[in-house]
Amino acid sequence: MNILFTSVFILANFLLLVLNPDGFLPALLDGASKSATLCLSLIATYSVWLGLMEVWKQSGITKAVSRLLKPLTKKLFKTSDEETIDALCMNLSVNLLGISGAGTPYGIRSAQLLDKSENAEYASAMLFVVNATSIQLIPTSIIGIRVALGSLSPADIVIPTLITTAFSTIIGIILTRLLIPPTRKNRAFHILSTQKARGQV
Amino acid sequence: MNYALAIIVPLLFLLSFLYAMRKKVKLFDCFTDGVKGAIPLVTSIFPYIATVAMLSKLFEVSGMESTLSKWLSPLFSLTGIPTEITPLLLVKPLSGSGAIAVLSDILTKYGVDSYIARCACVAYGSSETIFYIGAVYFATLQRKKLSLALGIAVLSYLLSVVLCCFLCRFI
Repeated sequence: MNILFTSVFILANFLLLVLNPDGFLPALLDGASKSATLCLSLIATYSVWLGLMEVWKQSGITKAVSRLLKPLTKKLFKTSDEETIDALCMNLSVNLLGISGAGTPYGIRSAQLLDKSENAEYASAMLFVVNATSIQLIPTSIIGIRVALGSLSPADIVIPTLITTAFSTIIGIILTRLLIPPTRKNRAFHILSTQKARGQV
Repeated sequence: MNYALAIIVPLLFLLSFLYAMRKKVKLFDCFTDGVKGAIPLVTSIFPYIATVAMLSKLFEVSGMESTLSKWLSPLFSLTGIPTEITPLLLVKPLSGSGAIAVLSDILTKYGVDSYIARCACVAYGSSETIFYIGAVYFATLQRKKLSLALGIAVLSYLLSVVLCCFLCRFI
């Protein structure tokens, strides 16, 4: 991320310096103000879903869902810690429902818990990949846009979307497995490389 | 179809609350307890969201985006991706709202039900805003080695777009 940020920022900065120096500061401010608006709407979204999730937690629904998804989660993330599995299961199931934004709080909690686990490198990479390529059962927002623009069959993209989103998640899982192997044998190597990388990444 | 979609969320709340009532959960106390976490959560991810947003704006304004999409278009068309949707493919991993703007642009320009428009819709839905999610999820971690994971996510995203453009020819 540091490398990406530095290279894109400096290149864009240089281009604007030459081509359009007046556009530089407004661009930064515009980006920042957009993120501030986004954060306000995120506070709203998270309030709603975190409220509901606390209800789920205290009434025992979370535990039930976790029990259902536990075998899959254990296999996918190579972790046996109960609390982590709970958070992961909630993240996955809410993602599947396609409620955008609602999975993030549990995703972040999972990420923090996984960071302390034995296979941190592998597990947090897997968490990120699964979330970034997230399987969505119903692309509600797209259907809405198509209806608004007068499409004759607004829902005909549902099946191709389902296939492609499942495909991207599966490819992502396979690649993560191959490139960031979860075995203990590699652990020493990973710790070594993280320590090395910490200086530059 | 629309009605079926619309009832999912209200039904989810109703059933959850009824179940919680049966379990004798104090609903008001419990719900407010959950909401308490919202602002700390957003405060903790704000710096990362703000930085990525500024970067993506710079990327757009400096003309890097249009130059890159000009360079990548021939490469994409080799794999069957229509060149018209290249801008969307570049914006989507960086910004959700930006991608929506580009998407509705494509839809109005080429017709909602055209092949290009359907490709664009499926490509939009096939993946999340990768860099945003990366920034948010790895924000609080100590081990921040995510370059490989980022690469994996971007690669699976591109492969799925190739598949989507192929699928849209038939479905």
